[in-house]
Amino acid sequence: MITGRDGLISGALFILLVGAPLAADQKDEVETCLSCHGDKDASFKLPDGSTQSVYVDAAQFAGSVHGTKISCTGCHPAQTEIPHPEVKARTKAEFSGSFRDLCKACHFENYTKALDGVHFAVIQKGGSAPFCTDCHGAHDISKPDSPRTKVSDTCGACHSDIAEVFGKSVHGLALAAGNQDVPVCVDCHRAHDIADPKTTSWRLKTVDACAKCHTNKAVMKKYGLSTDVVQTYLNDFHGMSASLASSGAAPRAITALCIDCHGTHDITKVKDGNSQVLQANLQKTCAKCHPGAPKNFTGAWLSHYQPSPKRAPLVWAVAVFYKIFIPFLIGGLVLQILLHLWRVMVNR
Amino acid sequence: MTEYAVRFSKKQRIEHFVVMTTFVLLALTGFPQKFYGAGLSRFLVRLFGGLDGARLVHRVSGFLFAALTFFHLSAATLSTLQNKMKMTLVPDQQDFKDAVQQLRYYLGLADTEAKFDRFDYRQKFEYWGLVLGGLVMISTGFILYFPMLVARFLPGELIPMAKVAHSNEGLMAFLVVITWHIYNAHLAPGIFPFDPAIFTGKIPLERLKHEHRREYDRLFGPDVKAAEAAEAPAPEKPAPADA
Repeated sequence: MITGRDGLISGALFILLVGAPLAADQKDEVETCLSCHGDKDASFKLPDGSTQSVYVDAAQFAGSVHGTKISCTGCHPAQTEIPHPEVKARTKAEFSGSFRDLCKACHFENYTKALDGVHFAVIQKGGSAPFCTDCHGAHDISKPDSPRTKVSDTCGACHSDIAEVFGKSVHGLALAAGNQDVPVCVDCHRAHDIADPKTTSWRLKTVDACAKCHTNKAVMKKYGLSTDVVQTYLNDFHGMSASLASSGAAPRAITALCIDCHGTHDITKVKDGNSQVLQANLQKTCAKCHPGAPKNFTGAWLSHYQPSPKRAPLVWAVAVFYKIFIPFLIGGLVLQILLHLWRVMVNR
Repeated sequence: MTEYAVRFSKKQRIEHFVVMTTFVLLALTGFPQKFYGAGLSRFLVRLFGGLDGARLVHRVSGFLFAALTFFHLSAATLSTLQNKMKMTLVPDQQDFKDAVQQLRYYLGLADTEAKFDRFDYRQKFEYWGLVLGGLVMISTGFILYFPMLVARFLPGELIPMAKVAHSNEGLMAFLVVITWHIYNAHLAPGIFPFDPAIFTGKIPLERLKHEHRREYDRLFGPDVKAAEAAEAPAPEKPAPADA
């Protein structure tokens, strides 16, 4: 079995020695291996009594992203000898776990990122969670995001309840219709260094995730959406508090973030009847954090509009007043100070 | 030996100290919330132990400031009604004349400075700026502290309006203090580095004569020379209370 460092070195050696004249040799090698592993019944018994298949579908491998690029020993460098070294795994899980490091030699960056991910944290605690091949496949690896709906399907294989909700959201419906702008799972959650979404630090970062697309003028213009949404949020008490929440000790309660009013996987169009942020539903949404919020309370939120004579005239007028009055007053006072100093100097 | 006149009572000195302390604390915990993106803001919030800590200090200071304002205005109103206090801080026509005279002097159009009474127009401006600005800060601060209560009776738009007003009025007060007050109480030629009168409660007669000539003349008579005044018993009595 190859592990850790050995895998890395042998992988690197392999690329160095065998990499260049690959094309012809690769075909030969694959054929050699498939003479045994191409047998549908190729399998062996594990110490725990279970049967582990070692069959590889020749056509499937040929069609995979690696099919014409690397040969079997590229990923399985320890198997160059026949007969193969003894298998040390006792169970199926251990056997599959023993392949965990195989991708590292070439995909070192994503491998390291995955070590920081929430899935690996579960594995480390002895739990069951996916690693490289569980999402990407092994001998049938294809481009992970082509088509993009594939990402949702991959994550949805385990997170089916969330995938179902997402599928009905404004983003999910557009994705299914072939839209290339809407986010798929990994655009918000990241692919390899997926963070635990229940942590405060991750929740605070969700604003940036939304901002990535919703401040992009070119993209938002297509859908007639405002790019002011983040700035107007930050101008409000909620946004200002959220942006300061990471300074010093975390506050007892994090003020509302984008997702608290709009939802997460179930985001709908603002004008959808079920939208939490529809004016008719707003009082209920506010009450999630402000129990007993009176009807007028919803008027405190300017619905992402910049104050103007039409929208929030009172707020607009007060802002304009100070914009004029502060420079006028302070300018006058500074002028008087300068005049006084000038007079003192002239007197001397 | 320098002779002094009493200028501020103990109550007034304590009031100034409380305003000064709460003002500094309110600014230190308020501006990080206005300029939430700045590095200095994050540093200050961390200094107060995070956002909750900064807000606690802000609210306690705000409450103290409001209590002081209420106490000060009630006491002033009561004393004035009982004829115990002269309204020496209320602006009158003379203040406008003084301001014009002073500006003419600065510009070289007049040879002498205006002769001021107990409080000159600059001091009255600052006092009323603090009182009126303080009332704006207290009322808008109340709206921001209790938005649910306010929305039960009044339109919700008052809440973002209060935020804009609170944040701008605070900025304006801060700018007035760091320009006008710091100049007049610390940096101005003749005052530098520090005018201790509001802390000690007394002012040297020489300065009183120079800076508040009309008050000086009222107290000691225009014909009395400074030397004679110095011989007189400590003029504790003549200093009138003020609003």
